[in-house]
Amino acid sequence: MKKIGAVFSVIAAVALIAFIAWDAVFNESASKSFFAMDTVISAQITGRNAEDILSETEKCVSELDSSLSRHDPDSEISLLNRNSGGMLSDRLGGYFRILLDVSKKSGGTFDFTLGAVSDLWSFGSSPKLPDEAELKKALSESGYEKASLSGNSLVIGGGVIDFGAVGKGIALDEIRDILEKNNVGEAVISVGGSVLLYGNKTAKVGIRSPFGDSGSSIATLSLSDVCISTSGSYERKFEENGKAYHHIINPETGYPVENGLVSVTVISDSGILSDALSTACFVLGKEKGIALAEEYGCDAVFIDENKNITVTEGIHGLVEVTDSSYSLVAYEK
Amino acid sequence: MLKLPTAAIRWWLMKNKLIRKGDIAVILAILSVAAVLWFFQSRQADKLEAVISVNGETVETIDLASVKEKITFELDTEPKVVIAAENGAIYFESADCDDKLCVNCGKLSRKGDTAVCLPAKTVVTVSGSDIDILTY
Repeated sequence: MKKIGAVFSVIAAVALIAFIAWDAVFNESASKSFFAMDTVISAQITGRNAEDILSETEKCVSELDSSLSRHDPDSEISLLNRNSGGMLSDRLGGYFRILLDVSKKSGGTFDFTLGAVSDLWSFGSSPKLPDEAELKKALSESGYEKASLSGNSLVIGGGVIDFGAVGKGIALDEIRDILEKNNVGEAVISVGGSVLLYGNKTAKVGIRSPFGDSGSSIATLSLSDVCISTSGSYERKFEENGKAYHHIINPETGYPVENGLVSVTVISDSGILSDALSTACFVLGKEKGIALAEEYGCDAVFIDENKNITVTEGIHGLVEVTDSSYSLVAYEK
Repeated sequence: MLKLPTAAIRWWLMKNKLIRKGDIAVILAILSVAAVLWFFQSRQADKLEAVISVNGETVETIDLASVKEKITFELDTEPKVVIAAENGAIYFESADCDDKLCVNCGKLSRKGDTAVCLPAKTVVTVSGSDIDILTY
């Protein structure tokens, strides 16, 4: 009897040590924040070799920055702009296919060829009201409909390709590939406010206040294993002659969108899609924006200037308003 | 309230030689240590801490509840930024950057609140668990 007891004790001790060791190796947790793509990136990773995966993530974003920036003369995008197109890698070809599709389905309210228009507003450096004639010229020369993609061969018919609205989402997609390849358990990644929740654990995502204390959140979304992107009129804005101008440009007019919305958040399985749709839905306005998001099987949160928060059906019950000056409005078709 | 017949359970365990007096003392000692640890951990979780980081490295950690009078942190960044903490809040007081987005973020006082000055590569965040991440 004593022998059986001793054997049991040894088995129990070995099992306990194995469990602790397993937990330490596979639930290693590491976090880091760094700057790239003209923004701040934060990553929290739980899984085996979390520190190494963080380094791989940082390298990936930095390479993507060099590849997608139209301000870097050696980037792939600059090369395409200089040559009015060219042969794309499979990966870049895939991204262009998605962007062309969103541009078409959104009726041009999302347009990735507006680099010249964006330059006239100078939102990246010292924003100013552009000259009207110059703005009209830049607009007439741009347009996604002038671009065509045959296989991986891209022809740009006019305008300047700008991935500014989707670069962060693309980074999320590429980071997810790294996490999948390394069998990571859970991760929470933010590339300048575009968020990737990786794994089955539910996380609380705060939606930033569109007014006043913009570092605070006004509502939370309880989600897992998705990408979340927000476009808001509170970012990159300036005042001239007593009028405020923000950075979300209506491709039809060349001027900032004025439709009563202040923030649109889109939830999607894909980072590039959540980024592109948050811009498109902002420009389209609430009703048409909701229809577009639903066409892609995505959910969305619309916040207007009267502090009404409208959410699509799929996320009813997952939204909690944390600022009592905002009200949750049920959307009915 | 449900009252456990502890004396009866103890008598039964001891009668069947499943537990001895010494074991009870050890169990009580372990439970006491656990209770003390839990108490301190829960106090720690409630703590409102602000973290200032530059280029991904933490440079200051401030217990916001303990800040009674205004304190300022002049960071040696390019462009220069000044961060102030007072009355349970922290904020970018001034910055030599062009857009002043960081200053416009206002006062941060709730867990998860975050403000960033991209040109100075400086992040101020109020640590805690109310939210996991902020979308903007």
